[in-house]
Amino acid sequence: MALPQDGLWYKDAVIYQVHVRAFHDSNGDGIGDFLGLAQKLDYVQDLGVTALWLMPFFPSPLRDDGYDISDYQSVHPHYGTLDEFKLFLNAAHERGIRVIIEMVLNHTSDQHPWFQESRSSPSNPRRGWYVWSDTDTRYRGARIIFIDTELSNWAWDPVSKAYYWHRFFSHQPDLNYDNPAVREEMWNMMKFWLDMGIDGFRLDAVPYLVERDGTNCENLPETHAVIKDYRARIDQQFPGRMLLAEANQWPADLRPYFGDGDEFQMAFHFPLMPRMFMGLKLEDRKPITEILQQTPAIPENCQWCLFLRNHDELTLEMVTDMERDYMYDEYAHDKSMRLNLGIRRRLAPLLDNDRRRIELMNGMLMSLPGTPIIYYGDEIGMGDNVKLGDRNGVRTPMQWNGGWNGGFSVADPESLYSPLLLNPVYGFQAVNVQSQKRFEHSLFSWTKHLINVRKSMPVFGRGSIEFLYPANHRVLAYVRQSGKDSILVVNNLSSSAQAVELDLRRYKGNILIEMFGRNIFPRVGDLPYLLTMGPYQFYWFRLRKI
Amino acid sequence: MAEESILTDDFLRELINVGEVDILIGVPTYNDAETVGQVLQALRAGLLQYFPRLRAVIINADGGSKDATQDLVRAASISDLQHGSDLRALRTLHCISTQYPGGASKGTALHTILAAADLLRATGCAIISADSANFQPEWVESLLRPVCHDNFDLVTPVYRRHKFDGLLVRNLLYPMTRAIYSRRIREPYPAEFAFSGRLAGYFLGQDIWSQDVGRAGAEFYLTISTIAGGFRLAQSFLGTRPHSERAAPDLVPAMRMTAGVLFWSMEQNFSAWSASMGSQPVPTIGPEHEISLEPLRVSRKRLHQMFVRGVAELAPVLKTILSAQTLSELEQAAAVPEEEFCYSNESWVRTVYEFAAAYHKTVISRDHIVQALVPLYRGRAHTFLVENRDASADEVESNIETLCLTFERMKPNLLGMWDGGK
Amino acid sequence: MWDTIVGELIQATRDTWHNVLHFLPRLMGMLVVVLLGWLLAYILKSILRSILRLARFDRLSEHWGATELLNKAALPSSSELLSRFVFWIAWLGFILVGVRALEIVGLQEPIAKFFGFLPRLFAALFVFFFGLLAASFFSRAALLAAVNADLPSPRLVSSVIRTLIIIFALSVGFEELGLGEHTVLVAFAIVFGALMLGLALAFGLGGRDLARQYLERRFVRGHKEEKEDELSPL
Repeated sequence: MALPQDGLWYKDAVIYQVHVRAFHDSNGDGIGDFLGLAQKLDYVQDLGVTALWLMPFFPSPLRDDGYDISDYQSVHPHYGTLDEFKLFLNAAHERGIRVIIEMVLNHTSDQHPWFQESRSSPSNPRRGWYVWSDTDTRYRGARIIFIDTELSNWAWDPVSKAYYWHRFFSHQPDLNYDNPAVREEMWNMMKFWLDMGIDGFRLDAVPYLVERDGTNCENLPETHAVIKDYRARIDQQFPGRMLLAEANQWPADLRPYFGDGDEFQMAFHFPLMPRMFMGLKLEDRKPITEILQQTPAIPENCQWCLFLRNHDELTLEMVTDMERDYMYDEYAHDKSMRLNLGIRRRLAPLLDNDRRRIELMNGMLMSLPGTPIIYYGDEIGMGDNVKLGDRNGVRTPMQWNGGWNGGFSVADPESLYSPLLLNPVYGFQAVNVQSQKRFEHSLFSWTKHLINVRKSMPVFGRGSIEFLYPANHRVLAYVRQSGKDSILVVNNLSSSAQAVELDLRRYKGNILIEMFGRNIFPRVGDLPYLLTMGPYQFYWFRLRKI
Repeated sequence: MAEESILTDDFLRELINVGEVDILIGVPTYNDAETVGQVLQALRAGLLQYFPRLRAVIINADGGSKDATQDLVRAASISDLQHGSDLRALRTLHCISTQYPGGASKGTALHTILAAADLLRATGCAIISADSANFQPEWVESLLRPVCHDNFDLVTPVYRRHKFDGLLVRNLLYPMTRAIYSRRIREPYPAEFAFSGRLAGYFLGQDIWSQDVGRAGAEFYLTISTIAGGFRLAQSFLGTRPHSERAAPDLVPAMRMTAGVLFWSMEQNFSAWSASMGSQPVPTIGPEHEISLEPLRVSRKRLHQMFVRGVAELAPVLKTILSAQTLSELEQAAAVPEEEFCYSNESWVRTVYEFAAAYHKTVISRDHIVQALVPLYRGRAHTFLVENRDASADEVESNIETLCLTFERMKPNLLGMWDGGK
Repeated sequence: MWDTIVGELIQATRDTWHNVLHFLPRLMGMLVVVLLGWLLAYILKSILRSILRLARFDRLSEHWGATELLNKAALPSSSELLSRFVFWIAWLGFILVGVRALEIVGLQEPIAKFFGFLPRLFAALFVFFFGLLAASFFSRAALLAAVNADLPSPRLVSSVIRTLIIIFALSVGFEELGLGEHTVLVAFAIVFGALMLGLALAFGLGGRDLARQYLERRFVRGHKEEKEDELSPL
């Protein structure tokens, strides 16, 4: 069953990113599953989010947390069965929650039957489904993405005695999108899930679909052509379903992924996210305003996706070397926290568990132009475990209560897919849903209220943005506008109280109504509007002319 | 008595917007539109290169320029406003400009900058002269690093100067400051220097701003206060001292700002200088002195003439200042033809010390005492030029050193004259 | 007849003795006032001297150059002078009050006139004194300025200025005293005017070329003549 397709639902959405494995275990095997997730849909609905983005749940050897897929049309037994998935999907839709799933187009696991066939012999019909070569010298222009583990984009396959191309881990061979059979089959995979009723795909690693010699093998026109084709088919057969691009590129390079509104509807705004953290540490809005100034306009029916953290490391690919060094020194002084040009920490530990800073960052996430994504657990301020390898430190079990396994599973603690957090600050006894739901002042309640206020005004999701540049560079201020609605957002990025004078002459005569308390603030006159702000404080004002 | 604040309302508002900073660079200007642009660019480059993570602000204290100086300053900020983004910079760099009241005066400019540094709680500050046409970005580091990282309170510059440049400094200011205050500071009256926020607060609190020294000569008094107040002092080698395109300052005001301030300071800080003998070196980063030897045409004849006339015409005045012996020495020197003229080290030191004592006792109006020194200094300059006409860099340095030692050696004479008779 | 003479003599003597007797108490009164006055004046002088000493008045007068002048005139220091001056004024005042008590009719008016004249005398004295001070200060300032600016005949300029200021002070002083006011003033005006006229003629006629050069340089941007390298003293 699918939800009614309001064409631009994704513009008003608030997305909750969740890992099925980490959310809730229903059958006591220590691993979260779909039935467990279905059981917790009430919580999700209560939080106020309107869409779920599920991490890959397909059958997989799990050497890259599920992004190495060995069967596109099934569910990994750990997480349940296909029927259980359908059950969950319907339950979500009943609550008005849409579901976005992953579709890894670029590569499969080396355990996928396709690859097993492809490698078996050069004459196999699926040989041309992957990118084989006798040498490892082609496509020199392509960079290595997992620099901490991989030395080359070519891997030698002893079985077929040839090199195969892989942009990610060596056990994730890239599919060959120059092959029409590949393109068709992948469409069939997507159609399988679309038929079931899912509302959108996050297409993982899109820039790397096609490679050509003499280029850096990213963002090639051929890649765009593949996506456009898929989008056209979706629009025809499944109108209103959404495609979300995961492309870690500069804004100017991201723009082509929207096409003329005929490619992706949404894309992650990767460069913005580290700059929000940078601006906070520098106590200077410059990194944030500059990246948004450089962000190109996108077609009317398209939308940026904003996020603070996700399942990966906080990527520092899209910053200058100087900025990266600064971020490392300020946020990841301990080198064990650094991975692959990024920082593998959760939101709360990054911000020193400072409630005010967490609120401010969430406030910006919800008020900057784009669709916000909340990473599971960040709404209660979960911590991380940097001692777990790779990026697993930010993928620990959801903490539901202070009891057995934090309410995640009834299994023995040793059977859990990942150890729980136990320390006094972030451990499940200190940070969990149950205790936070009881109090109005908890981070959960606050986040719920924040989402509520955001949903109350479509301006946030659909409106334009105009930056004000007050002389006090520690204050980030902008106006969101859509139709007759205008909202003034003022953020104090500094740890100390600030006074700021805003030039609101364009809005003269408007009364400011603070959106959380709904109290009236003075009307805008001729003089600059003076606001005094506490450390890390932010205001959302509705501008009303009566 | 209600005093008009040197901080105008607009300036104060701008300071509020800048907020707390780590580095504050002050640039006093008066009709400097020709050179201020380059200086600001160099400052920006220096800050971006050597202190990219620190919060910084450049403050221009202007005396009422009639040209585009203030506009040029404002255009130099790095912010996120309209004029393109500067991705090389992590932070906003503010460049603000204010016009202080009371007409162009270096002292008031310094006062304004100190007040701003105090309000913004800057840890490292610097004053950069707006007409340093060849100011290099590296100089920002040379001046500020000792303050920001090594906890020095005042860093004065050391330049490569032509051997005939800065005669007043070489013949009077450096040797006498060295002898009196026992520190070998090459440039006691610096055009550009760096200082700590601590020193800024201390100096701001000194009661000099309503007096003459608060208008002209304040930088020199800052150096003296640093020594007298027990703060940490260092010098840092920069490079070649830019040859200013402007006309050289008139000697009388120059003498007021230097000798006048020095004599006055001796009264204020008697306990600080009376007990010490000899002199100690100051921690120096880079070479301590460098002398360049390009050929330079100088008019010596006029110096000698003015000395002779000065001694003759000012006899009644000099009689009240100098001892009979010194005066007769000068008269004899004046009587000799130019080729044989020599104003020896001992004679010069004795002259200067007697002037200092006379100033202390106010035998006549103090300003007149300072003015009377000018023609005598001209004679000394002449002798210096002759002595060093063909000298190498080392020889010049050794001559200066000899003069310094003479000042030091004769300091007890000064002390004797200070309270006793002539 | 002899009796009448004797009788008149006795009468006259008696009258005189009467007058004397009447006069004596007033004389006593006057002497008392004078003595009291001396005491009070002395006390006043001491107090004033202490105050001036505390206020470092000598320092101040040194700064103005007054001390120098007084030393030249072999006068005591300023504070001493001022105190003594006040002493004499106070005592004089008391003396005159005492004399008034004598009620010698003929003396009242002259005394009153004298009192009236006193302020003007003091004013004149002040003018002379400060005139001397100013003359000495400004003449020296002019001398120094002329020497340092390399102007011709600095001594002459200095003396001229000194003379002019003294004459001016004198004329103002005399005007104050009411002595030949008009004469002195006119004389001063004539001298000053003549001097100015002479200077104007001299500069005007003699400096014609110079003036033209100056104007040309100022308003016509010609090519700069090569000059020697300027040295900065600082």
